[in-house]
Amino acid sequence: MTKPFLSIRAVRKTFGAFVAVHDVTIDVPKGEFLTFLGPSGSGKSTTLYAIAGFQDPSSGDVLLEDKSLLSVPSHKRNIGMVFQRYTLFPHLSVAENVAFPLRVRHRPDAEVKRKVADMLSLVRLENFADRFPGALSGGQQQRVALARALAYDPPILLMDEPLSALDKKLRQEIQAEIRRIHRETGVTILYVTHDQEEALHLSDRIALFKEGRIEQIGTGEDLYVRPASEFVAGFIGNSNFLPAEHLETAAGAATVRLADGSIVTGLTAAEPFSKGQKVRLMVRPEALSLTPGPASAALAVDIVDTAFFGDRRRVVARTPGGDEIDVRPTSDTIDPAGATAGSGQRIFFDPAAAFLFPA
Amino acid sequence: MLLDYNRLGWLRVALAGFTMLVAAFLLLPVVFIVLLSFGSSRWLAFPPPGWTLKWYQQLFADPAWIDAALTSAKIAAMSAILAVVIGLFASFALVRGEFRGRQVLRGLLLTPMVLPVVVFAIAAYAFFLRIGLAGTTVGFVIAHTVLALPFAIIPITAALEGFDKSIEDAAIVCGASPLQARLRITLPSIRIGIFSAAIFSFLASWDEVVVAIFMASPTLQTLPVKIWGSLRADLSPVVAAASSLLVGLTLCLMIVTALLRRKLSR
Amino acid sequence: MHGNSLRRGSIAGLPAGSGGALPALVLVGLFFVVPVVALLLRSVTDPEPGLQNYAALFGSGTYVRVFLNTFLVAAVVTAVTIVVAFPVAWMLAIMPPAFGSIVFGIIILSMWTNLLTRTYAWMVLLQRTGVINRTLMGMGITQEPLPLINNLTGVTIGMVYIMLPFMILPLVGTLRAIDPMTLRAAALCGATPFQAFRRILLPLSLPGIAAGGLMVFVMSLGYFVTPALLGGTSNMMLAEMIAQTVQSLLNWGLGSAAAFVLLVVTMALYVLQLRLVGGKRPAGGL
Repeated sequence: MTKPFLSIRAVRKTFGAFVAVHDVTIDVPKGEFLTFLGPSGSGKSTTLYAIAGFQDPSSGDVLLEDKSLLSVPSHKRNIGMVFQRYTLFPHLSVAENVAFPLRVRHRPDAEVKRKVADMLSLVRLENFADRFPGALSGGQQQRVALARALAYDPPILLMDEPLSALDKKLRQEIQAEIRRIHRETGVTILYVTHDQEEALHLSDRIALFKEGRIEQIGTGEDLYVRPASEFVAGFIGNSNFLPAEHLETAAGAATVRLADGSIVTGLTAAEPFSKGQKVRLMVRPEALSLTPGPASAALAVDIVDTAFFGDRRRVVARTPGGDEIDVRPTSDTIDPAGATAGSGQRIFFDPAAAFLFPA
Repeated sequence: MLLDYNRLGWLRVALAGFTMLVAAFLLLPVVFIVLLSFGSSRWLAFPPPGWTLKWYQQLFADPAWIDAALTSAKIAAMSAILAVVIGLFASFALVRGEFRGRQVLRGLLLTPMVLPVVVFAIAAYAFFLRIGLAGTTVGFVIAHTVLALPFAIIPITAALEGFDKSIEDAAIVCGASPLQARLRITLPSIRIGIFSAAIFSFLASWDEVVVAIFMASPTLQTLPVKIWGSLRADLSPVVAAASSLLVGLTLCLMIVTALLRRKLSR
Repeated sequence: MHGNSLRRGSIAGLPAGSGGALPALVLVGLFFVVPVVALLLRSVTDPEPGLQNYAALFGSGTYVRVFLNTFLVAAVVTAVTIVVAFPVAWMLAIMPPAFGSIVFGIIILSMWTNLLTRTYAWMVLLQRTGVINRTLMGMGITQEPLPLINNLTGVTIGMVYIMLPFMILPLVGTLRAIDPMTLRAAALCGATPFQAFRRILLPLSLPGIAAGGLMVFVMSLGYFVTPALLGGTSNMMLAEMIAQTVQSLLNWGLGSAAAFVLLVVTMALYVLQLRLVGGKRPAGGL
């Protein structure tokens, strides 16, 4: 990792007796796209607001290039921000909205004009300069907000759930836009969302928040493939959990007994378990298949339902213990026509792709 | 940040300080009048050289003050009842009716609130002189009902607009007659609006000076007319005593309003 | 009997749902519209048909001065009211309700207290030997009592006192409707508090200021009681002049003409105010 550009040091925020953020520490290198992901109330927005200067942390520090930001008022922090609600200035035209940060900095008119034109072409709204925010769609307003936030070349751009007010199609469109702009400008982006797909799609790294703490930080792939906890596994991607009992761990490979008595071996354990400890086995739906592979573990199930989704098929299975299992075999591992509802069938997975978490 | 109470910094101190000053400015005359009414100085010196109840004794010993207060109460009560009843019917038409010119009608019925009272005062005075109602209780009540009507219509229409008519329809589907549905479902639901209408239209008449000055006769005076006459003559502390009682009445009304609202909105 | 059948006939002919408005319409029509129209007719018929009353009104320096003075007082009162009300409304819009409700209580108390009582209090406070002059002299700020009553100062103080609630309460609504995030966005964009105020907060509250200001202006134009008691003879306002012309001089023609002028100005501004309140797009401060 390169030298930290923005450094969040043990930031803590309490509201009365409630601790919203527990000593969060993150280093962000220049140019990174870092996403704060988590359910609502997990402290991700509060952390972002501390960086923006809307709320002072109760303790801890926020450093930008080794200088503390905390004593700097918001208007001198030189940070760009895009909000959930678009927060455009309703009495100013699109061009004047984008020009606002430059005008308050007393930049010369010619520069303002040029910069506004650049920004509007960056977000592809050249033809909307004279419109008022009220006459724009939600997606257009959010693009204006993006242009306004980037107009003064801030080193950091904060985005607080910027897509949550938009419908699905627009969300995807603007996501692509944000990726392109991040690529073209190289700005460091801190992005808050509760949508894991959005986080996976956009980010270099994801910090997953839970109850005011960072549960895991890493690339999307890290979080998906190597989840540090059941919470991470459950929050990122889809997953199946099966109750099991830990028997032994030898050379990093754990062996468990499932509820139906079958033994599975060669599993990855998130932490050391004792013999006989109750654990939960997690396996991703797409790691399951209906045909055995070279080193497969097998589960005896009833197939309850199958559904066809075009690029894949979804199979719902149930273990004898009553746990429902979501199976989404990728097309190359299954003959799509092969799955039919019925009892006494088997599904397979590679134990290396499964994880054990404490119950 | 200018709208974040916790992030205003020194500006918050300045704004809060200014707000307290203005609150003091608004409260000062009211408190002052009450204090002076207990002061012993004939010339309203402040701080008073001593404390006394004699202005209240003089007030209650003077039948003219008592008469004026009773007249005011009577006229205000009648005007308020009329305004609320007429306003209630009008509000149903204004909110529920489907006819052209509804907005024009609303504008017309609210005009007495907007037109300078002095214009209505001399107009009503001339008109009532001609039809023989000047200086009569009936004339007073009619003129004050006209002035109070907008204060009844505004809260009732507001309450009615906030009431979901489908609830009334549901009652009718359940077998209630349209009249029963209105009496038993709709009226109780908009009672806060009706209650506000009663308070406001009562105050509109009780405090009304300008029409009253023109309409009053030597034998029929309302309290504001009596105060007006005393003010023009001299600044007697008896007026301070009467004023303090009015302040007391206002406070009672505010408390009753707050309590009833809390109870009704439950 | 005749009236009864006429009424019934008209109800049958009335459009759906309008029947309930009939009593109100009769009341306002008969005892408001008819008297006011009759009064206005009087301005062109009393003492004889013609426009001589209007000629007298606009031809006399005395009356023109009353007009000008009325506008002056209303304008001064409106300006002072706006300047005083805005910070209070601002604070009330954002402060915690526990403190705010006390201030709201004081505003309501002041607003509901009898108009004459409030004016009387100011007469006592502002008189030559009143508390304010004694305090100022006691503190050595002035040697002689200041003339605070029977002049523009007295009227302004008394009127501002009465108008403040009418400005503060709607402004609180306007300010509460502004998203605080908009101001945060302005700050992050680099706007100093002053720039954010001048370029964002003020323009966004301008529709409320304009609507409230117009209302205060209209009410001040036609005000009678407070100017009559706190103002001086040299700066009489229109309402007082109308009352005096009719009551003391018994000149109904002239009084009616003046009343008509007041009515036209008031109604025109009222319609303008309705437009402002009804308008969707903020008027803008560009």
